[in-house]
Amino acid sequence: MTAPASRRSTGARAWLDAIRRDRKASVGALILVLFALLAVVGPLLVGDPTALVAVPLEPPSSAHWLGTTGQGQDVLAQTVVGTRVSLLIGFAVGIVVVLVGSLVGVTAGYFGGRVDGMLSLLFNVFLVIPGLPLAIVLAAYLPSGPLTVAAVLVFTGWAWNARVVRGQTLSLRRRDFVLASVVSGESSLRIITREILPNMTSLLVAQVIGSSVYAIGALVGLEFLGLGDVSSVTWGTNLYWASNDSALLTGAWWTYVPTGVCVALVGFGLVMLNSGFDEITNPRLQMERAWRAHLAAAGQPASRSTPVVVRDG
Amino acid sequence: MRFILQRLGFYLLAAWAALTLNFFLPRLMPGDPATALFARFRGQLRPEAMQALREAFGLTPEPLLGQYITYLGHVLRGDFGVSVAYFPSPVSTIIGTGLLWTMFLAGTAVAVSFVLGTLLGVAAAWWRGGWMDTLLPPALALLGAFPYFWLAMVALYVFGFQLAWFPLGHAYADDLTPGMNLPFLASVLRHAALPVGTVVVATLGGWMLSMRNTMVSVLGSDYVNLARAKGLPPSRVVLRYAARNALLPSVTGFGMALGFVLGGSLLTEIVFSYPGQGYLLLQAVQSQDYPLMQGIFLVITLAVLGANWLVDIAYLWLDPRTREGS
Amino acid sequence: MNRAASTSCVLAVLALAGCTPERRPVPRGTLVVSQEKQASWVRNFNPLAPGGAELWPTKAGIYEPLLVFNTVKGEYVPWLAVGHEWRPGHRVLRVKTREGVRWSDGAPFGARDVAFTFELLKKFPALDAGGVWSFLQEVRVVDGNTVDFEFSRVFVPGLDSLAIVPIVPEHLWSKVADPVTFRNENPVATGPFTEVRVFKNQVYELGRNPNYWQPGKPAVEALRLPAYPGNDRANLGLVFDEVDWAGSFVPAIDRVFVKRDPEHHRYWFPLIGGTIFLYANTRRPPFDDVRVRKAISMAIDRKRVVDVALFGYSRPSDATGLSDAYARWRNPEIAATGDWVRHDVSAANAALDGAGFPRGGDGIRRLPDGRPWKFEILAVAGYSDWVRTAQVVAGGLKEVGIDATVRNSDYGAWFQKLGEGRFDLALGWSVDGPTPYTFYRGLMTTSTVKPEGVPSFWNWHRYGSERGDALVAAFERAADPAEQRRLSDELQRAFVAEAPAIPLYPQPSWGEYNSRRFKGFSSADDPYAALSPNKSPDYLLVLTSIEPR
Repeated sequence: MTAPASRRSTGARAWLDAIRRDRKASVGALILVLFALLAVVGPLLVGDPTALVAVPLEPPSSAHWLGTTGQGQDVLAQTVVGTRVSLLIGFAVGIVVVLVGSLVGVTAGYFGGRVDGMLSLLFNVFLVIPGLPLAIVLAAYLPSGPLTVAAVLVFTGWAWNARVVRGQTLSLRRRDFVLASVVSGESSLRIITREILPNMTSLLVAQVIGSSVYAIGALVGLEFLGLGDVSSVTWGTNLYWASNDSALLTGAWWTYVPTGVCVALVGFGLVMLNSGFDEITNPRLQMERAWRAHLAAAGQPASRSTPVVVRDG
Repeated sequence: MRFILQRLGFYLLAAWAALTLNFFLPRLMPGDPATALFARFRGQLRPEAMQALREAFGLTPEPLLGQYITYLGHVLRGDFGVSVAYFPSPVSTIIGTGLLWTMFLAGTAVAVSFVLGTLLGVAAAWWRGGWMDTLLPPALALLGAFPYFWLAMVALYVFGFQLAWFPLGHAYADDLTPGMNLPFLASVLRHAALPVGTVVVATLGGWMLSMRNTMVSVLGSDYVNLARAKGLPPSRVVLRYAARNALLPSVTGFGMALGFVLGGSLLTEIVFSYPGQGYLLLQAVQSQDYPLMQGIFLVITLAVLGANWLVDIAYLWLDPRTREGS
Repeated sequence: MNRAASTSCVLAVLALAGCTPERRPVPRGTLVVSQEKQASWVRNFNPLAPGGAELWPTKAGIYEPLLVFNTVKGEYVPWLAVGHEWRPGHRVLRVKTREGVRWSDGAPFGARDVAFTFELLKKFPALDAGGVWSFLQEVRVVDGNTVDFEFSRVFVPGLDSLAIVPIVPEHLWSKVADPVTFRNENPVATGPFTEVRVFKNQVYELGRNPNYWQPGKPAVEALRLPAYPGNDRANLGLVFDEVDWAGSFVPAIDRVFVKRDPEHHRYWFPLIGGTIFLYANTRRPPFDDVRVRKAISMAIDRKRVVDVALFGYSRPSDATGLSDAYARWRNPEIAATGDWVRHDVSAANAALDGAGFPRGGDGIRRLPDGRPWKFEILAVAGYSDWVRTAQVVAGGLKEVGIDATVRNSDYGAWFQKLGEGRFDLALGWSVDGPTPYTFYRGLMTTSTVKPEGVPSFWNWHRYGSERGDALVAAFERAADPAEQRRLSDELQRAFVAEAPAIPLYPQPSWGEYNSRRFKGFSSADDPYAALSPNKSPDYLLVLTSIEPR
């Protein structure tokens, strides 16, 4: 059984190639790159998003491309500046969530026994407790601010990663090269960091992407409820203010449509990138693709008659 | 049977964890119900009255362990304390007014989304490479990437406000009396259409994709090929043989999705002023009504745990292997 | 039920859902009111309950007070009391109760009920929100229709606190074990609406009192109150003709509400909702300096504040700070002497330069110890008019060398910081009463100054002066209207001179109505009382005047 090429070669170049080959992944990557640019450069190009620049609730015009908010602020500036903060917190939370989750998951999967039992119980309990209500209650108790929201999201979001990583660790633990290291007396820490984690890179990247989707969505939701720092300019607070300033009643669609579309595009980009990754790294879907490409080259329509190749891992 | 009891034990443990978390939160966190009270009264309250009120709330010093035992005892009796915002109404009374609506909304949304998404997934796997398989998943993924409450706002604006096809809020028309009669049920459906619709639209993509991917692999398995080779009609092969087995992973996800969707549907409720727990929770947060907030969290958690257990039972029924194992 | 039958049943319901017109007409005589914003109604009709969780109109509509102060006309309207007089020495207030009033269960109302209610406040201090027992000594029944309130000291404004207490029936409430936690689900009261006909979490209905003491009133058959969770939702109800009477802030009201039906969609926003102030903490330098407070005031463009922040619904405040609720007290000549409310950036800069606060190299002024003038303005997130106001104010302050930033926090956090005096600059409202006494007492007396960290329900800026103390003390002993007027003028003069706080604009009292089904609302054309259902107890006057068409 030969391992797929993308599994072993984990260099950045290989990733880029893989992304470029897959249409979904490239669409996702393109969207994300554009938003990253917007987050880095955008705020330098627009004015102060909190400045009162015009009459409140003015529709889009040449002076204010996306109109003004109920506070008389420029919607474009708010959306652009909001991008920076929201993406920063979103991705940071995504990464921390995976870090915490992996730590717990690897520990449980590697050591097994009692440790596994306790930790598995812990994350399973966290998985069944509904996250958003817990996050709302936590955020209400803590002083409002971006750090609070980030901490709350990590607290309510790590369990899923722990579960996935534990499963992967369990299967890697039984592999020959890991067993060999155990027999040769290497320290657990070394085995985990040198043997197990590097073999989960693609999984971890996919987890970071997935967790970022969760984090951005939950962040926007909590801030929409006014649980973030409403003085700051983020996507969630933009929506909070839009709803607070009677956007529906006054028909001021321009105060909430741009931000909503941004949130959706980033989420969409991440999901596309992830499903692209999945097709690249998942052997079953990869075979299916290869077969389909083969058929297409032969001029055959891919239909229900296509035999499906199943490989049990 | 053993499986069911095992799961029940797990959920009881989870419930205890939620209870304990709920107990320690207000005692570890910086927020203080007493100052929240003072703020709530907009300063119309003299300090003398304040002291009397604190006592009425049971804000008395007592050792932590004693407090914990009292707390557990109260919760078991369904006593979640007294609300700050709705003083002196007990939290349980307030939650009771809207719990069924929240469960109805979230439950309907998850069920509709699950059934519809699964069927779409089956169809996409069957007509692999067709438009359902290539265009629908990305389109649904895009829709699913919008925040629920944002979709709700747009739906409310377009279908409620501009086109006036659907009512602007509440769970049924104000002049109707709840009961098993046609006008009331019809009104409930009309009012639920937009909130349920937005949640379904946002969550459909996930069910479809997961079903589609499992179906694809099941369709290639030996027993399906065998059934096909025996000349069984394709509809029978797909629905009776493949879909039933492909459903299992989705059902496992169902329980977890319930908790997740419930969170989103709380936000949707707020937009549609649906008389469930969503706006109540928000209001509790805004008025720093800690007892109410925690009561809602606890009740929602218990409801989700209960629903998860029911899903486990359904899983057992679907998957004979689990039955044999027990 | 077999499958076909259940399927057709579901289809029938769906079809019905699609076809039936949802908006059935509200029965004639049922007035739909939107007053409070709540997620769902929780049954509580206890008029004395602390915390304001009782449902509208429990305090003045189900139950009634002794006297109703009409803010628009500036006078007391006799209600459950037909008259009141001070006994010689002004230590005893004798109140005559109305004859022929019955509780809604038919039992007669009398002086005993009044005395009982006040005794209840004494016994349960949590009920005494207005603090009447801080100046009362004894409440005595003289005869069936006469009560004597004996004061512990001469305190003429005490009448205002006594007048608003809702009176509860002795024959029922004497059996209530704990009136603090009593929810009174089925009220027995003297007011126009006492019968709870419908109670659901999203709507409740109150029917008229069959034994109401005003013959032929109320003309309205029932009140219906839908639960609207937020201002936006309440406004949608108003715009879509679901609501007949409302008291909510509507942005751009002429475009959003009136334009949809100019004949029936009406509003009236009289400026009697108190005054919105910029409070500067006078316990913290440089705000202890009156020149600084006046200079800050001159840096604020109040015209812009009311245009941008309030859609032009208000006007710039004058230097007395008095809203139109005190139109009879405000002395225009004194107001005209206060030039520090005029927008004048150069004068403000000159005043600050003259006061010895030079600008640093960055253009920001410095305190004597070298700290830059960098302050936060506290506002409540969610009060969008305040947030806009704070932004305009901050912009103005920047022009005079003050680095001010707006800090929006939620209501609880804002109130806590304000009450404990932990702020530099903050927006806040005024504490009002029938006369300027309460207003100025909360703005400039040393007795209301609490140390930083101790919560206070007024005088958040923590200012007191001897002049203010003396005038307020004199006002407490003044029963003669001419003397009261003289003291009121003196108080205004003192406020203009000392600028204890910075008035921005008088707050409108929000009131909207739909005249499609009802008539008799108070309006700018017929201003017999405040229109807003939020203005308690004034709305009692409106409730008993509205008639179905």
